[in-house]
Amino acid sequence: MDPSQYADLFLTESREHVSAMNQWLLQLEREGAAGSAEPVSAIFRAVHTVKGMSATMGYAAVAELSHELETLLDRVRRGELAVNAELMDLLFRSADVLETSIEGAVAGRAVPMDDVMRRLRAFGESRPSPAAPLPERSDEPNEWTAPLPVGSGMLVRVRLQPETPLKGVRAFLVVQALRRLGDVIVVSPPVSSLQAEQFGHDFALRLVTTVGEAEIDRVARGAGDVVAVQIGEPGGAPRSAAAPEPRLSRAEPVVSPATAADSLALGVARLAQKEPPSVTVPNAAAEAAEATGVRQSRHVRIDLRRLDSLMNLIGELVITRGRLLQISTGLEDPALADSVTQASRLIGDLRDEIMTSRMVPVWQIFDRFPRLVRDASRALGKRIEFTIDGKDIELDRSMLDEIGDPIVHLLRNAIDHGIESPEERVAAGKPAAGKLRLSAARDRSAVMIRVSDDGKGIDRDRVLAKAKATGLIDPNKTSLNDDELLRIIGRPGFSTAERVTDLSGRGVGIDAVYTRVRALGGAVDIRSAPGQGTTATLRLPLTLAIVRALLARVADEVYAIPLTHVSETVELQDAALRTLQGREVLVLRSDVLPVLRLRALVGLGQRAAVAGQPNEQVIIIDLPDRRVGLVVDELGGQQEIVVKQFDGVKDGLTFFGGATILGNGSPALIVDVSSFP
Amino acid sequence: MSHTVLICDDAIFMRTMVGDILSQAGFEVVGEAETGVQAVEKYKQLKPDLVTMDIVMPDMGGIDAVREICKHDPQARILMCSAMGQQALVVEAIQAGAKDFVVKPFQPSRVLEAVQRVLG
Repeated sequence: MDPSQYADLFLTESREHVSAMNQWLLQLEREGAAGSAEPVSAIFRAVHTVKGMSATMGYAAVAELSHELETLLDRVRRGELAVNAELMDLLFRSADVLETSIEGAVAGRAVPMDDVMRRLRAFGESRPSPAAPLPERSDEPNEWTAPLPVGSGMLVRVRLQPETPLKGVRAFLVVQALRRLGDVIVVSPPVSSLQAEQFGHDFALRLVTTVGEAEIDRVARGAGDVVAVQIGEPGGAPRSAAAPEPRLSRAEPVVSPATAADSLALGVARLAQKEPPSVTVPNAAAEAAEATGVRQSRHVRIDLRRLDSLMNLIGELVITRGRLLQISTGLEDPALADSVTQASRLIGDLRDEIMTSRMVPVWQIFDRFPRLVRDASRALGKRIEFTIDGKDIELDRSMLDEIGDPIVHLLRNAIDHGIESPEERVAAGKPAAGKLRLSAARDRSAVMIRVSDDGKGIDRDRVLAKAKATGLIDPNKTSLNDDELLRIIGRPGFSTAERVTDLSGRGVGIDAVYTRVRALGGAVDIRSAPGQGTTATLRLPLTLAIVRALLARVADEVYAIPLTHVSETVELQDAALRTLQGREVLVLRSDVLPVLRLRALVGLGQRAAVAGQPNEQVIIIDLPDRRVGLVVDELGGQQEIVVKQFDGVKDGLTFFGGATILGNGSPALIVDVSSFP
Repeated sequence: MSHTVLICDDAIFMRTMVGDILSQAGFEVVGEAETGVQAVEKYKQLKPDLVTMDIVMPDMGGIDAVREICKHDPQARILMCSAMGQQALVVEAIQAGAKDFVVKPFQPSRVLEAVQRVLG
């Protein structure tokens, strides 16, 4: 059997367990020793499951680490170790290393873990060590080493395979099997030692029975992992004096094996009859099971790739729908139009259903943030109350995978630069613990993710000084409004950080967040009030795959502009065009916007002036930090488009975020407005 | 007719793997359970020829599930799935009525041997 085929499953499930582990660790830390029972056993279970899975996959390092961790947790569970800061620290650390070792194992990388292994083994070493296990007797696997038991009955010696797993239990099974043949008088080493694996490969016992040697041999071997059975005194040596021949009286309780087995079975059967299935309990249990059964049947695990391919198919179908609608409108056949409308509605419903099936709640990534906030605030000596709202808000799976990093960035920024140290806060008349809130909310067809803190706010004077120094802004300006602030801090590479911290990285400011969110078709907004805090809002479309777009035509070519950033369209009046510092600008009401011409972007010449042709159109594009007017020849209405990503972006395609097939079957490029200069 | 099996383990990974090993050997996996309570209920429902039972599971653990199943059907044939270091628990499970055990990491040959012993 090739375990590699289970690697995906292993990874998914292990991640879930590590995530659960972190959740429980946080709870354990909050509740301390008093409420430790539930978290500790939940963590133990998670670690234990990871251990079993990793061992099966052959990931020895992961298995070893989880084994050490499990051993430690078991001692905590039994109350041998106190839940204190030192222990928590080690447990958190172990969870991290466990996570990286899991990822590493699947990727075929070795992950260093000596340090944490040493700490796990050494933790609380001063404890009274439990009775030191006897050195394992790994004597010659082919020799009989167990001392011969003294007593009546037939001597039976059993040797197990050298590599028998859990040999103590196996020995116990053998003894139990032989007990069914008669009376086991004595076992050497004693059963307790066998169970504790304090023996080599063999053990011996004395059995009083009426069955023959062949049967004893068969039964002993039938218990599994037995390589040799020797019945009778070795080398015909005289029995020890203390082991007289079984006297009849001694043998008297011996019943025939069949009878013994029967009476045992009967006993059990009687036991079962004595307790007829009570009416209430099983029913209650059955109801509970039925309830869980119903709940279970609602969930099926589906390979993500299958959902992706469903999404692709429905995308094609949506395109075909557009085409069908167009054709049927042209034909003006009422019966056809009816059917097409009907089909069109069904396709729309189907698309909604498929999109919904791809939605996952944001807690899937939010759940790891409490741990991150805890670690970061500790590292910086800050006190933070972290809350999460809207955990159940759902986003398309593909989107969710992408927004983790930007959120981490915002949280770290808030902890590092936003929230002050407890002393500073108290001096400023605020509570010593800062508030940090992460929330998700649905807003029509978008999801808003918000990170807000009650810290000192963005230092506008510093941003202003820095912006002047780097020539980003008019040197005579004395203050910044929110929009200007947003525009400046969103510039690639802009940062006011004085020192490099582990947390926010080296000089990478909020621009990293901007870039990523824009690439997802979303927008970032940041509001900050001095002394009161900062709120960053990410506005994200629900999915990456299907968007509404405005179609625009230049010459004979059609382009699609996602509606996410389109605020309005206006007809281009010559009077509204000006030239400012050598650049074309558009005066729109009280605003002056830079103008871009789609013709120029796609390498077409100016439109030939033809008398009577309609004016060009301007699409006003709203980006978080600026507005731009995009001049096109003609508008072509709105349409739902299915985004097909380019495999590789070639030179000259910088302004395009992908391609799509329009309702009439012709291809169109999708303009990526966020990439505009 | 092939033997029917009920697989009880809280990890899908383990259920999948044990399920694959057994179905490739011609067994019919008739059910899966994630918790001890489910294991008992599904046993009563499905009356499988064989049960594979993980020891550590949420709500009711594997050992209690063995006890419950054997109370309901003393002839139940249950194979414990354990990890290294669980000697005491496996012994307890056997005393509760389990017939044999296998130790993770599972090797298909060992699993099948143990299954044969349990069914034999």
